[in-house]
Amino acid sequence: MAKDRLLTEMRALRDRVVGVTDSVLASRDGLIIAADTATIDPDNLAALGAAMIGLAQRMAAEAGQGSLRDSVTRNSGGYVATYAVGGEALLVVLGDTGLNWALLYRESRSTVDNLGNLLAQASPRADGTAAAAS
Amino acid sequence: MAMTQEPLPAGVSAQGGPGPYGRLAVDRGLSQALLTSANAGRSVFLQVTGEPGGVVHLVDGGVVAIETPGAPDAETVLLRSGLIPEPGWDAAFTAAAASGRLAAEIVQQGLIGAARLEAVLRIVLADAMFVLAVGRVEECHVVDAAAPSLLALEPGAEPRRLLDETSRRLQVLAAMGSQITHDRDRVTAGAWQVTSRLPLSDSQRDILALANGRRTARDMAFALGRGVFALTLEFSRLHELGLLVVGSRRGGTPAGQADRAGSPAGPNPHQAADPAAGPGKDPVSPLPRRRAPSQPGETSPARAPQAPPALLRILRRGPSGPQVPADPEEPGRTAGQDAP
Repeated sequence: MAKDRLLTEMRALRDRVVGVTDSVLASRDGLIIAADTATIDPDNLAALGAAMIGLAQRMAAEAGQGSLRDSVTRNSGGYVATYAVGGEALLVVLGDTGLNWALLYRESRSTVDNLGNLLAQASPRADGTAAAAS
Repeated sequence: MAMTQEPLPAGVSAQGGPGPYGRLAVDRGLSQALLTSANAGRSVFLQVTGEPGGVVHLVDGGVVAIETPGAPDAETVLLRSGLIPEPGWDAAFTAAAASGRLAAEIVQQGLIGAARLEAVLRIVLADAMFVLAVGRVEECHVVDAAAPSLLALEPGAEPRRLLDETSRRLQVLAAMGSQITHDRDRVTAGAWQVTSRLPLSDSQRDILALANGRRTARDMAFALGRGVFALTLEFSRLHELGLLVVGSRRGGTPAGQADRAGSPAGPNPHQAADPAAGPGKDPVSPLPRRRAPSQPGETSPARAPQAPPALLRILRRGPSGPQVPADPEEPGRTAGQDAP
């Protein structure tokens, strides 16, 4: 099942990077696609993440600093990193204060790439047919 | 280094066999690099690559700070444990940002006593050295510069004492036969519905409340603002009682047979075992069912699982019996106690 594969990728990131606690994959309009969370409300994270990625991309453009790489919120209790996944989705990753968010960026590249490919495979084609499951 | 038998902490029994900590030792490369810097009285940053890896800051040969993702730093411990309120911390940070002397500022502002702060810094250092030295070390090399820690122990702790303390901790964990590793095993609260009847400490109840199958001892240390080693000891005690079980391991290894002591039969009612139960809930495989002894030829009827013997002894003593002992090596209990 496609959702299982998405969750497998997200859990693998949590497994790979010490300090990652939760993650949410959402559409650009703030709807949940998949969530690897415990007590955090994934719906709220999805909505806020969508708003954040849009603002962050606008900020990068306004500052004349090229394209957005990640948007990181550093808090007294940890980090929230938001990444674009293709043009239609985003990934919100939460981590505790021990998270190395620079390392997370590097380690998340394959995750973001794989999630994007999985979403593209599951999306209907322009001719209305679904992409073949792989 | 002569290995003498360390007495086990109060209330801890050997579980039989050394467990995974019996196979670990202080990394020799790290030990050599630290002692070389100490003997030369150097002031350097020592970058340790590996997992968890980190940076050791030495001043005049003494360790003043360690940054590692493997154990909470002093700020996390002070804030998450509630020893220092966050507004007070922010004010002290603002005042000390230019000078970098945050330790002096938070004492001056009356947020914590000097002796207690020093004890916390020493405990945090010992904890960080423990996870660094028993982790996977690839390389140790001196770097030109790194961001200095705002909360530095002055004067620094002797590397030899920190390494000796790490060896002592390994011996304690090996002697306990601790089956839970601090950085790999994610724990779940056991299925026994009797915790309200048990003389558990508040800290042990905090652990059980956070044991949702997603946290290792390292993860819970960050969540609670406590030491990784102290939590590993607590995990071992609670695991022996069957109150904590290993749900999964980091690195993708299923728990499988990882949980050997006191596992209750049947699925854990505190966890959603069905992946369809909700988005993102970690599915936890039902634990192997333990077959009840039966007469030859008989089909065993379904029976309630047996509690581990250690748990049964506590239940028989009742709530007025002695408390399940907590570990004294916690930042909140360090005032006046011995620390490296």
